[in-house]
Amino acid sequence: MAYPSGYGAHGSKHRARAAPDPPPLFDDTSGGYSSQPGGYPAPGADVAFNVNHLLGDPMANMAVAYGSSIASHGKDMVHKELHRFVSMNKLKYFFAVDTAYVAKKLGLLVFPYTHQNWEVQYSRDVPLPPRQDLNAPDLYIPTMAFITYVLLAGMALGIQKRFSPEVLGLCASTALVWIVLEVLALLLGVYLATVRADLSTFHLLAYSGYKYVGMILSVLTGLLFGSDGYYVALAWTSSALMYFLVRSLRTAALGPDSMGGPAPRQRLQLYLTLGAAAFQPLIIYWLTYHLVR
Amino acid sequence: MAFTLYSLLQAALLCVNAIAVLHEERFLKNIGWGTDQGIGGFGEEPGIKSQLMNLIRSVRTVMRGKKKN
Repeated sequence: MAYPSGYGAHGSKHRARAAPDPPPLFDDTSGGYSSQPGGYPAPGADVAFNVNHLLGDPMANMAVAYGSSIASHGKDMVHKELHRFVSMNKLKYFFAVDTAYVAKKLGLLVFPYTHQNWEVQYSRDVPLPPRQDLNAPDLYIPTMAFITYVLLAGMALGIQKRFSPEVLGLCASTALVWIVLEVLALLLGVYLATVRADLSTFHLLAYSGYKYVGMILSVLTGLLFGSDGYYVALAWTSSALMYFLVRSLRTAALGPDSMGGPAPRQRLQLYLTLGAAAFQPLIIYWLTYHLVR
Repeated sequence: MAFTLYSLLQAALLCVNAIAVLHEERFLKNIGWGTDQGIGGFGEEPGIKSQLMNLIRSVRTVMRGKKKN
């Protein structure tokens, strides 16, 4: 029964406040431990027994508590700064997906021609999250598709024996820059055409991110079936994506009311939608042709 | 074309600078894009030209701070 003796030995050492051979942590700060204010040493002795029994070191326990308070303080500061730029609730709406939604949305991106109802459904002025509405845009698919695209680009370059780790970062930052440029151009277009609907930055980011699915499919087909397969897949995914974008943006830009506004503004919105759709095949080709030689 | 984020930052800075240095008297008034020529009443539809003029004026105001307009 070395346990109770060790127990009692620690206790006697603590009461004596001079610790010849405990662990170093306890040894260094025993002086500081005895100078705690209030009735801490007296009940602390009993607590120290239990804590000692549980953790083996009351000073480590205090250090852990201090460290966790520092960490939570730092986390609050980061959250505050982040909340100034990005609203977390709005961002969480875009990631509220489930497996059925992702599967149906991927199918819709590849074959949108038979889908009938393109309206985003609302429930008391709040748009339904993607889990309950197939037409709602989400950011999960674009994010995953972007990461998959970067990995696939690395693999394709490796097959062509042109791979190096810097190329991966370069590919990722190039694609990211094109996305940023496209979102900025779309924002400018939405501002100039005075679209009154709730097409926020994240909506536009979601709609421009859907092209990565087409890119991945084109590159995969190109790797499996050669250059002809690449061009066939490019044509198919481009036309599907263009149809998907035109239908989605038309219904999204019109908003909850289906009046739309005066004729010149509607024409501007139509040009904006068509321009955004026509840009997609170009950028898909630009970002993937060097992977499938 | 391999872009980096730094080149995007450079391009954005140059574009914003280009908009900010458009001179009001010498240039914008001569092509009819001055700030006092655009406000055509409070109709429903601002139109693309007045939106553009508004945008240019806002960029100039933000970028110039408290200096002379």
